[in-house]
Amino acid sequence: MKNIKKFIVVLILFQAYSCSEEILEKDPQSSFSAQGFYKTTADARAGVNGIYDALQSAMRINFSFWGEGRADAVDTRHSGDPLALKQNNLTQTINSASWNNLYEVISRANYAIKYIPSVFEEENDFSRQLIGQARALRALSYFYAVRVWGDVPLITEPYESVEQDFFVERTGKEMVLDQIEADLIYASENARESNGGDGDRILFTQGGADALLTHVYMWRQKYGDAIASAERVMNNDLYSLVSITNWNNIFSSGYSNETIFEVGYNETQTNSLRVLYALGSDSHYFPSESFRNSFEEGDLRETLIYDVTEEEPRKIWKFFGEGFNDESPDPSGNNIVLLRLADIILLKAEAHNALGETAEALQLLNRIRERAGLPEIDEQEAVNLYGDLESAILHERLIELSFEGHRWFDLVRTGRAIDVMNPINGLSDEGNLVWPIHEDAFNRNPNLEQNLFYR
Amino acid sequence: MNEKNCLLSFIDFRLRLSSKLNITFLLMFFVINMFAQEKTVSGKIIDGNSGEPLMGVNVIVKGTSNGVSSGFNGDYVIHNASPDDVLVFSFLGFETKEVAVEGETEINLAMEPATNALEELVIVGYGKKKKRNLTGSIASIDSEEISQSALNDPVSILQGRAAGVQVISNSGAPGGGMTIRVRGNSSLNSGNTPLYVIDGVPIESSELSTLNGSENHGLNPLAAINPGDIESIEILKDAASTAIYGSRAANGVVMITTKRGSAGAARVNLNVSTGVSEITRKLSVLNASQYREVIVDSYRNMENPIEVTWAVIDSLNPRNNGDIDWQEELYQIAPQYKVDLSVNGGSENMRYAWSSSFLDQDGIILASNYQRVTSRLNVDFDISEKVTVGQSISYTNGVNNRINAAGTGNTSLVRELLVRPPSYSMYLPDGSLNGYQWGRRNPVGLAEQATHINKTNRVIGNQYLEYDIIEGLRFRTNVSLDYLSMKEDEFFPSTLDYREGYNEGAVRSINNLTWANENYITYDRQFGDHNFSSLLGLSIQNWKYERTGLDGMFFPSDNIRTLNAAGTISNQEVNITTEHSMLSYFGRVSYDYMERYLLEFNLRADGSSRFGRDKRFGYFPSASAGWRFSDEFFMNDLEFLNDSKLRFSVGQTGNEAIGNYTSQGEFSVGTNYLDMSGAAPSVMPNSGLTWETTTQYNAGIDIALFNNRILFTADAYLKETNDLLYNVPIPRTTGFNYITQNIGSIENKGLEFLLTSHNIDKEFRWNTSLNVSLNRNKVVDLPDNLLTNGYIQNGRYHILQEGMPIGIFYGWKFEGVYARDEDNVNGVTNGALGREFQGGDPIWNDLNNDNIIDEDDRQIIGNAQPDFFGGISNDFHYRNFSLNIFFQYSYGGDIYSEINHQRNSVVSYNNLSTDALDRWRNQGDVTNFPRPLRDDPMQSDSRIQSRWVEDGSYIKLKNVNLQYNVPPSLIERLGLNTLEAYVTASNLITWTNYTGYDPDVNSYSGLRAGVDEGSFPQSRTVIFGLNFGF
Repeated sequence: MKNIKKFIVVLILFQAYSCSEEILEKDPQSSFSAQGFYKTTADARAGVNGIYDALQSAMRINFSFWGEGRADAVDTRHSGDPLALKQNNLTQTINSASWNNLYEVISRANYAIKYIPSVFEEENDFSRQLIGQARALRALSYFYAVRVWGDVPLITEPYESVEQDFFVERTGKEMVLDQIEADLIYASENARESNGGDGDRILFTQGGADALLTHVYMWRQKYGDAIASAERVMNNDLYSLVSITNWNNIFSSGYSNETIFEVGYNETQTNSLRVLYALGSDSHYFPSESFRNSFEEGDLRETLIYDVTEEEPRKIWKFFGEGFNDESPDPSGNNIVLLRLADIILLKAEAHNALGETAEALQLLNRIRERAGLPEIDEQEAVNLYGDLESAILHERLIELSFEGHRWFDLVRTGRAIDVMNPINGLSDEGNLVWPIHEDAFNRNPNLEQNLFYR
Repeated sequence: MNEKNCLLSFIDFRLRLSSKLNITFLLMFFVINMFAQEKTVSGKIIDGNSGEPLMGVNVIVKGTSNGVSSGFNGDYVIHNASPDDVLVFSFLGFETKEVAVEGETEINLAMEPATNALEELVIVGYGKKKKRNLTGSIASIDSEEISQSALNDPVSILQGRAAGVQVISNSGAPGGGMTIRVRGNSSLNSGNTPLYVIDGVPIESSELSTLNGSENHGLNPLAAINPGDIESIEILKDAASTAIYGSRAANGVVMITTKRGSAGAARVNLNVSTGVSEITRKLSVLNASQYREVIVDSYRNMENPIEVTWAVIDSLNPRNNGDIDWQEELYQIAPQYKVDLSVNGGSENMRYAWSSSFLDQDGIILASNYQRVTSRLNVDFDISEKVTVGQSISYTNGVNNRINAAGTGNTSLVRELLVRPPSYSMYLPDGSLNGYQWGRRNPVGLAEQATHINKTNRVIGNQYLEYDIIEGLRFRTNVSLDYLSMKEDEFFPSTLDYREGYNEGAVRSINNLTWANENYITYDRQFGDHNFSSLLGLSIQNWKYERTGLDGMFFPSDNIRTLNAAGTISNQEVNITTEHSMLSYFGRVSYDYMERYLLEFNLRADGSSRFGRDKRFGYFPSASAGWRFSDEFFMNDLEFLNDSKLRFSVGQTGNEAIGNYTSQGEFSVGTNYLDMSGAAPSVMPNSGLTWETTTQYNAGIDIALFNNRILFTADAYLKETNDLLYNVPIPRTTGFNYITQNIGSIENKGLEFLLTSHNIDKEFRWNTSLNVSLNRNKVVDLPDNLLTNGYIQNGRYHILQEGMPIGIFYGWKFEGVYARDEDNVNGVTNGALGREFQGGDPIWNDLNNDNIIDEDDRQIIGNAQPDFFGGISNDFHYRNFSLNIFFQYSYGGDIYSEINHQRNSVVSYNNLSTDALDRWRNQGDVTNFPRPLRDDPMQSDSRIQSRWVEDGSYIKLKNVNLQYNVPPSLIERLGLNTLEAYVTASNLITWTNYTGYDPDVNSYSGLRAGVDEGSFPQSRTVIFGLNFGF
């Protein structure tokens, strides 16, 4: 009898554990489960900020490798990406052949675009504004991707389950560009007109979407559309040209009235601007000889861009201010300006010129020349100086937007890349205008094919 | 009800139980005392072999806890022994004897040394078992082997001493990390570490340190355990032994048992030792002028030569006028001191073992030091005839003043001291340290000025209550906790940086609490020749990890290094908390007939919070059988055969080593955009995740020959692991790097042999113990969709491929150097569009004979898995001297020497090994050292290549221990009972062809075996010590 009691005691003990299985329910405490994140409007905002965070990584050095590294304005002595790009020895192991950071932006944007609507009881302005930003960021990433690699996998849904197709093939670039246009048109209609203060520069606004859209239309040679979207930018009160005395401040201080969109950085969220351009004795890039020789007499920007007193300038001080001299390869906290008014004005000039609207083109071109302290020119002078008006505008872009990551894309989009670069590095094949896809991408996805030129 | 309530209700219940029992027990004591009779027995105990008196023999009245231990002359006096009592004499290393009192008042005894190791008990999961009755496969190491090794942590002791257990050093730093594998890698994930159980408490054994600088591995979490406290270590290897630990047992179980007290007068032991360590060898490096010549060559060899940077060749510049072998500046002779004090004894109803130790050990690299204080108390109380309670509690305080030794960054000291150009000066003209120069930090500055401290406090405690309900039926409950608090501080002063005023600091505070409650009943019964024993239990365990930390920069001064001074907080990790819990049921039934036929079954059911709700519980069964054929009548004629047994086992175990929330996916916070807080998906969810399951088959034989003088054990096993948890790389277009999935399978099979022989057993004694382990590892199956090129890339150097072992290196095969341009007769080019290889370029094996060297020419260039490994130990005893000589070896594993690559890389302006003196310089030079080339257009430098793969076979004179027991006659006057003087040398000589510091190296734990990126080198150590017994 006594023993039975003891058995019962032991049984009770075991019983105490049948409360049990709930202890196996453990939710994350310091992060969120993937599907459980988007719950409040604050979450929606944080989700969008997370996309910009990825953009910071994507742009920190590649805006320059992609936009300048293969073009004629820069020269370099640095092995690795700088020399490979400059000498047109692109391999599938160079860093700039990797699209990982861009797709990180796209993935975060896809999560935001899918889940933000569920946060709000019904669609409203605020949700559309946030989605507008997310779609503009996705468009920006895809726009870089098609310009760099041509066809790329087009993914517009977040990855949440192993059932999804991981091994997406490359999508035709025109389809990708269609998606980019659709995203930007949505953003142009739904993003905020103004985010207020610094938010007008470092976050996407309607104006930012319009400016990027202008670039996309120019890439696709849709000149009429480009003029219309550029028009919207130029009519936007947020943007005005700064005076030439403040020209360096666009880059060194950031947040200028001329900026339409720039990627924000600070002391801890840094980029490689200084390593790229301004490290006193040994920066990645310095102005090429042809670039230095292409200035017109009296161009006020020349001394703002580099040290003209040096016979072989080894640095570019445009981004840090005239006289900048620093021996330290510090990561830098300057914002990286991706879209600004002068850029859009010159694109519009190009579009007008392409449509034969010479007068409009000249007027816009001269606006920029004027600020640089250069005399107005007419069509004949443009022809005398540069051969034709398009060349004059592109030259103006070369100087005005120097090292900002536009030159290579300008050359490609206007069909001049081979002409300009062949004497420099022997570039001769249309198929060579895109980058190779990084080998890591092949190792992970059997359905990818390398760009023909690089096979 | 949540788990707290569960626990509370349980504790509450226990309290009620014990208060009720207490009354009963008080009554019982009263009764016992009433009827006790006064009678005293005394006598003298001697060693039957030598005739010397034996001190410290336990003498207990059988069936009671009444006991004493013999004094200095072997004398003992025991009171309260009645004429009908039986006295039990026991002493470590001797046969236990029982003598009936039968009215005698003087009983003298000669004790016989124990020769039959098979009668010893070994620890198994939730119990003990006679070694001769094991049906599974268990390796054990006793306290004598532990004390001979004079090592400071329990893991390194296992190296070479246990068959089937491979131990590799990740780092030679004091308290540095180790890799341990029981019967091979059974998982593709990093979860290949065995489960550690100390006195029944499953403890946290994963690396918790988060500030490891650029190292890939950090500290050894088991360094907190003082080997001096350990009675024995058992390694459970096959499924029959481990299945009782279910889902955590696939990698084996290491059971550590600490010393407990025994009845008798207090025995005090003081062990004092001191020693020195030094680097085993230094590597060859170029001097400044040789270095400059190579760099000049490397520029001249460019296709379009550019000007040599002045930064390297200008020997008049005060930053650049040095000529330094940095090894000379960094390696030092390192002292160490250790004091161990222990007291152990007991009375009628209580036994205790108390110990404390202090260790102060310098590393062989400047400014590295480890200090550890440990303290332990193990007590057991018989609170009644039926109830025993006890407690073990240990506390460790460790302070590890670390340096960034390993890894690939420029803060990695071992690499820097080999590759920093010799021409870089130590000091600038103003007397200050040349702390940073062209991408290189000064290693002396790194060691002396940077802070990298890890402070650990750890408490491991265990309380138990055992209750004999009726004869044979016993209940035991344990509540245990393992609390670890760690604080880490890191600081890089601005003197080591190129940026004015740029300094960085970081702090982390980590709390890790694991608690467990285990309850089980055992029932043992004998019916004639039939022996039954059974076990039924349940266990609940919870792990909680909390971390708070800050990173900061721009401190106004290098002298204030706490984070409150940081000008900018660059990263915050505040109250990061993760939690994980497990609920388990387990049971065992064993049966034997006359110890001739043995059977055992185990089953454990484990539920883990880490897995999706539908896949939460796993069931892990095992069965084993033994046949002692030596007891069969037809074997009776073989007299030389004392004991022999065949063993068979089969069973399943699991592995749940994934992130706590991986199956749910994760959104991480902290992905901020400027000061706007952000969040982003960081782990892709997979709701179908479940256990890895390992099925293991084992067959073994144990043979004892010639009066137990030769013991031989052999085991063969086959381990198949399915549903491998693996971070499968997925296209980055998904936004994720990988997804954790259950994929594929791995197989390990192997043989283990252990031979122990008493070669000579006279006044001079000589014992030999030899073990050999062979393990063959093979990836059996990987899902096709992961095999983009027929394999999975596994880090930089390795691939995973079906049919091949884990740990194969994959890259280009180096076949020498073109002596002249014309030697490239086929016009082999670098890639389809690249240049032709010319004189001085490496000759790569053109696998597909297309005269193009590209990705398709990569091949398997090495295998890190050794063919076999083990150890040989010889013990010699003569009178008061004993000598142990222990060799440890590993044969056939390759090493990818990334450090040798770094030591020959001009692309990074690294200093080179003296091999570079034989470099190709002119057309026609026949050499194996390619021309140095500044910009590496032919990828001679960047390829993963067989040039850096070396044979990592070695045999080491790992340990020599000479001990002298000072005769009692000499020390009696000092009031001492025993005095031993000893000298121990470890890592004395290594025979190897490996050209790095030491072939016992592993820069990555986990799967990326056999890579040497420049780990903290192993050291040679000599220790002298005295062991006093009072």
